[in-house]
Amino acid sequence: MADLTHSIPRSNAGNGTKPNPVLVVLSILGKTLLPVFVTLFGLAALTFFIGRMLPIDPVASILGDNATQEAYEKMSAALGMDKPLWYQFGVYVKGILSLDFGDALTTGKPVIDDIARVFPATIELATLSIIIGTGFGIPAGVLSAMYRNSWLDNAIRFTGLIGYSAPNFWLGLMGLVLFYATLGWIGGPGRIDFIYEFDIEPITGFYLIDTALVGNWEVFRNVFGHIILPASILGFGALAYISRMTRSFMIEQLSQEYIVTARVKGLSWARTVWIHAFRNVAVQVMTVVALSYAFLLEGAVLTETVFAWPGFGRYLTNALLVGDMNAVVGCSLLVGVIFVTLNLICDLLYRVFDPRTR
Amino acid sequence: MTDKAITSPAVAAAAHTGLAAWLRAPVPTSPSHARMQQLWLQWRRLRANGSALFGLCVIVILLIAATFAPLLATHDIFEQNLATRLLAPSMEHWLGTDELGRDVYSRLLFGARITLYIALLTTVIVAPIGLIVGTTAGYLGGWVDTVLMRIVDVFLAFPNLILALAFVAALGPGIENAIIAISLASWPPIARLARAETLTIRKSDYIAAVRLQGASSLRIIFGHIMPMCIPSVVVRVTLNMAAIILTAAGLGFLGLGAQPPSPEWGTMLSSGREFVMTSWWIAAIPGTAILITSLAFNLLGDGLRDVLDPRHG
Amino acid sequence: MMTKHFSKHKKAIAAAAAAALLSSIALPAQAATPASALVMAWNIDAISTFDPAQVGEVVTNELLQNTCDSLVDFDPKDESKVVPLLAKSWDVSEDRKQITFHLNEGLKFPGGAPATAKELAWSMQRVVTLGYGNAATLTEYGFSKDNVKDRIVAKDDNTLVLTLDNPYPTNLILQAVGANRVSALLDQATLTKNEINGDLGNKYLATNTACVGPYKLVQWNAGESIVLQANDDYYGKAPKLKRVLIRHVAEPGTQRLLLQQGDVDIARDLSPDDLADLDGKPGLKVERVLKPQLFFWTFNALDPVFKDEKVRLAMRYLIDYDGLGKSVMKYLGVPRASFAQLGATGALDAEQGQPFKLDIEKAKALLTEAGYPNGFEANVLIGTLPHSAPIAQSIQQNASKVGVKLNLERMANAQLFARIRGREFQTGMLAWQTSVPDAHGNASRLVYNPDNRPEAKLTQMPSWRSAFQNEAFNTQVKAALLEGDPEKRNQIYYQLQKDVMEKGPMAIMFQMYNILGMSDKVQNWTWNGFRVYYDLASK
Repeated sequence: MADLTHSIPRSNAGNGTKPNPVLVVLSILGKTLLPVFVTLFGLAALTFFIGRMLPIDPVASILGDNATQEAYEKMSAALGMDKPLWYQFGVYVKGILSLDFGDALTTGKPVIDDIARVFPATIELATLSIIIGTGFGIPAGVLSAMYRNSWLDNAIRFTGLIGYSAPNFWLGLMGLVLFYATLGWIGGPGRIDFIYEFDIEPITGFYLIDTALVGNWEVFRNVFGHIILPASILGFGALAYISRMTRSFMIEQLSQEYIVTARVKGLSWARTVWIHAFRNVAVQVMTVVALSYAFLLEGAVLTETVFAWPGFGRYLTNALLVGDMNAVVGCSLLVGVIFVTLNLICDLLYRVFDPRTR
Repeated sequence: MTDKAITSPAVAAAAHTGLAAWLRAPVPTSPSHARMQQLWLQWRRLRANGSALFGLCVIVILLIAATFAPLLATHDIFEQNLATRLLAPSMEHWLGTDELGRDVYSRLLFGARITLYIALLTTVIVAPIGLIVGTTAGYLGGWVDTVLMRIVDVFLAFPNLILALAFVAALGPGIENAIIAISLASWPPIARLARAETLTIRKSDYIAAVRLQGASSLRIIFGHIMPMCIPSVVVRVTLNMAAIILTAAGLGFLGLGAQPPSPEWGTMLSSGREFVMTSWWIAAIPGTAILITSLAFNLLGDGLRDVLDPRHG
Repeated sequence: MMTKHFSKHKKAIAAAAAAALLSSIALPAQAATPASALVMAWNIDAISTFDPAQVGEVVTNELLQNTCDSLVDFDPKDESKVVPLLAKSWDVSEDRKQITFHLNEGLKFPGGAPATAKELAWSMQRVVTLGYGNAATLTEYGFSKDNVKDRIVAKDDNTLVLTLDNPYPTNLILQAVGANRVSALLDQATLTKNEINGDLGNKYLATNTACVGPYKLVQWNAGESIVLQANDDYYGKAPKLKRVLIRHVAEPGTQRLLLQQGDVDIARDLSPDDLADLDGKPGLKVERVLKPQLFFWTFNALDPVFKDEKVRLAMRYLIDYDGLGKSVMKYLGVPRASFAQLGATGALDAEQGQPFKLDIEKAKALLTEAGYPNGFEANVLIGTLPHSAPIAQSIQQNASKVGVKLNLERMANAQLFARIRGREFQTGMLAWQTSVPDAHGNASRLVYNPDNRPEAKLTQMPSWRSAFQNEAFNTQVKAALLEGDPEKRNQIYYQLQKDVMEKGPMAIMFQMYNILGMSDKVQNWTWNGFRVYYDLASK
């Protein structure tokens, strides 16, 4: 998570003129889309070569320990592993271009279907996490900036840093022991109690929405009980980052002259901070939130493992460990697309809406 | 006359009251003197920042613990005793024993060495690479910038832990390979940062002046731009150490970090999770150690940011 | 000024904190499993297909045994005996080379289509034709792609005849073939309909089951869950529990929490210390049975150090069988050094089958004899089995006392298998499971090696992987297999086990338990080392 700071665009991009926003968007699109494709291609190539570099033998993964050599060679040929490397790369690129990632070796289903199944679990978790992270993180950051260097500021920063510093798989395990096993306040690992598993009609794949749509509040509560702890733990990490960045944006704003002017004119302090100063950093804060969200969407492997969460991160890791490269490629490209797209949206938002770049 | 007027009080003061006065002298006598004074000032600012100081203290304590681990340890960290496994903390074993009856306290001390080794070595690898790539891209611009930044983008878009995981799986598990893998995953953000810094610097007057004097690009990048990027990179790198420690622990947790019987904290935590319900301290102790260390680096990094890089609050 | 504004916000913060706290408290834990279903937490990552011709690991095997009946079954009470299943009876020819099975009448696939001996013959031929790992189960006894159509024949709808090339012990054939997943009765019509590129339905079976059994697979989400449902068209007794729900839980600690909270009935992968802790807790019980799985330390005989049998023997004296057995392995397995697992026909008893103990002096003496008085350095590859690391570390520590420096290298299991299969290792630790309750099951894989050349690539044989070949042992294995007198046959195996313990290519360390934690609401949980009978469990 600490790695996201870089992507916040700097605010000195203005050049004095006032171009039409539509033109700005178009030119940026032109300038950015090409690099986006280059990045994605690079990502695909990197993934391919990582896959070939891995000493994990996908054939052995599929056939298991006691397969005969004949069966081994047969499967190897079926996977095209006996062809030269450049040929394999060609097949691979062709597959990607036609959006066909092939079947996952471990599940026998098309990778796209697998992703469609595991990704909603991660999106749901990531979304609730980011809501928690933003809901608490922004007010915390603003308060921290308002009362800079007070005990409140220190307390908020310290708490935030703990969210930043704790290994979240460990927090998860400890949280389960406390809230689930000892206190019994929340549901356990997994997305839902097994007893309710068949009460869910998959409409969107998001259990909270699915249950709310049909008004089944009993199951909704159960699902919520399952998601709240992992979401809080991931949200804590996001909160740490969001509050920290909000604080530093706000401190910069609060030192501006217009704030002093506003105060002198007799506007209330809270009003000044929340209405005037915050409005000016809102876009910057939004980019931070978007990047945190992108990070959460990559799937938190370790948290998902601890909570038996059938999500994206675990699917990807598992695929990697058995050398299921079709699945790894599909997943990495998806992550790449999400990352690049959110970056792009941030960029656009920033350039179009930030008053100082107009 | 004027010259003398400026220098003599400072020299006199230094002669009379020593180092403190020399550092506090209102006007520096030489560039190095100025630099020392600035360092002194920064140190005083850092000292006033309680939480940063706390972080620094923890790190110093850790360094001491790691350095003198053989003296401070109470037991042989490899000596097993299956009869006394999973003991709770006691006078004999201050932090209890693990699943093979080894002393957790002693292992924790030696583990500090590994954790710090990983964090520091990764930083030593990553910082120069990030700096060189970032400043070169930023200063030269054009296609060099485009190519380098696309590479950075590719690495950024790849999930961090997955990248490290893939490389560890390819290179084989072990501390050195974990370091290489983590380095591969953590240089791009630094390159980005250095590039952004460079972009703001390269248009400045003094760079133009140096260029007019006929300095080569290489010289400008290494002699004039890189030093200006160092403060923000130092801040960034300190904050990064926490992330490195967590990634290393994550690799250890997945069984791909340091190999047994090494007392690396993530590996200890990983084998301890089996006993979370029965002997909680075996997981809680390395977990807390990881938490405190990474917290310390974060606190120090935050403090350094205030001191070295005030623009970013 | 700060403090003045501050008090207002204090209230807001307190309110927010309280709200956060309340929202989490207000959720009562639901802790009950459905009365008509068995709910299990299990690590099911290994599942990749349900094709009986291809399945090679224990999780799917257990599921197949409950969804796809085979010709005969292991007796729940005594795994070395067989009882009728698809076949209600069988006759054996005078020369023991022909077995005629008489199937139950009125067999039906789920959905009601009739299931006959013709489909069964097709299913068994299919295993050989496809040539996946399980083909070896049949080719070992003389079936091949060329002759399988003549040697596995459906005489009529209810009669199946197997013709063998040698007079093997009938009981062995019944165990190895009749009770194995290779004699599962597959729905030929459905598979032919879903055939892709002549795969005989292999792709279809990757995500489905299509056979006669007490349960049928109704849902499988990889890495998430499995649902089995009672098959209404089953010819036998209907299962007591209508559904078996399996949730994928990789973390043993998490499994324990689920079991303790009553969210699952059974947890399959508990850690030994959790099992010890749960054993005797009210409402819970621990069930265990020895399974035919051996955990061993294998040495590569191509390595200049480990080609010496004295070195390999010395390594055995560095294993603290007793200490590990009482601590790390207490709930996981029992010390065992013989290749024949306890419970198998022809196996040495517990005492004779494990004569070793930790003896540093003896190891030192053997190493000195072998020319390594000061020890040597070697690598040990281990996988992700939770007990691998502590066992390896314990041996590592003992080895350091005789100057042997062992470097552990832990890796993903898939990677470990690839290294061992390719003979690219010095030493490694892994588990091996046989599917036959007879000494021949492991003798044929862990001892017998017909062709030690690298290009022979007998990668399914651990003996070949460790480049070990001993002509005398080979002869004995072959002699024992065809020995008609059971007592003489046992004697050959006893002697062979003693010899292999001294000279063999692997130090066998433990025979593993199948062990689980269970809510005491579950009754009649029935299993042996080879089979779990879901249909007999009740609540």
